[in-house]
Amino acid sequence: MNCRKAEKRLLRSLDGRLAGPEAEALGKHLETCPACRRAATEYRSMLALLRDRSEAEPMPRFWERLEPRLREEKEIMPLLVWERWSLRAIPAFLALVGIIGGFLFFTPPAAEMSPSAALLLQNQDPLSDTHALFEADRSETRTLMLMFASLDEKTPLRRPTP
Amino acid sequence: MEEKQLVRLAQDGSPEAFEELVRRFQPKVFSMALSFTRNRQASDDLAQEVFLKAYLALPRFHGKSEFGTWLYRISVNHIKDYLRKKGRAKEVSLDDVREISFSDREQAERAEEEREIEARRKLVRSFVEGLPEKYRVILTLRDVQGLAYEEISRILKLSPGTVDSRLHRARRMLRVKLAPHLAGVGGTHELP
Repeated sequence: MNCRKAEKRLLRSLDGRLAGPEAEALGKHLETCPACRRAATEYRSMLALLRDRSEAEPMPRFWERLEPRLREEKEIMPLLVWERWSLRAIPAFLALVGIIGGFLFFTPPAAEMSPSAALLLQNQDPLSDTHALFEADRSETRTLMLMFASLDEKTPLRRPTP
Repeated sequence: MEEKQLVRLAQDGSPEAFEELVRRFQPKVFSMALSFTRNRQASDDLAQEVFLKAYLALPRFHGKSEFGTWLYRISVNHIKDYLRKKGRAKEVSLDDVREISFSDREQAERAEEEREIEARRKLVRSFVEGLPEKYRVILTLRDVQGLAYEEISRILKLSPGTVDSRLHRARRMLRVKLAPHLAGVGGTHELP
């Protein structure tokens, strides 16, 4: 066993997680390796110093001090929730404004569009517009026909009598 | 009353149930904070804040883990935040701890045993503070708090293998730093 492997096993053994043949092999290695024996001593000292918890006595009246704070938090909880959500809503609102603004700003002008796209953008119905055009044409045609008809009445066409 | 029952009652709004949970877990939370901060007042404040956080987060606790594990996770995260804010993660140089060094054997022999142990403890803690956060946290949970590997694995959400290797590295780093002081005058006793 080399020393690196021995160190790993040593730490496991200090945690009480080494047994059987592995522990035996470590024991044999330690017998023959002064560096690892020294490391074992140092690890033991180090862990003993780390594990000392003599001053970990909690301070008194913990709950009595905590309880009013809990009550206070409970009272302001709804406000906190509203504050948190309203703060989250601000960026969402700004993003929405940005999207709408961007859409309106960056939409190509009507001149660059096809006539139907332009009519659609202007919220106009191309069919009804076409219908109106036809209607206008028809009334003009009717007027012309009336004009021609009246001319015909004033100057009746005389056919040469045979 | 069983812990799960207390948690359920606390979730339903029973202050008595939450008080009982606080009484049961306060020493461990305080002790955990103390092992990181080494300051009783700061640890007490941290413990109060941890329970405050736990109280507010209680509706979101679904019992997937033990209440204790969940609470220690909150504690560790809160303590880490505190330490980051305090800027405690700085590397401790040997110069910082020279005053309490006990490499001088004659001086240590003359001093009282109690004082010597305290000085050693301070030295070890100074070096622990100088470790990178991920090693410091795991070392404190295992070697100062004495938590089981499995519990550390659950609290930190790390695989047992990662806990094992990280702890090994942390101990090794600490021993290399401490070796001259633990073994008296001499080298670092690096294993070949």
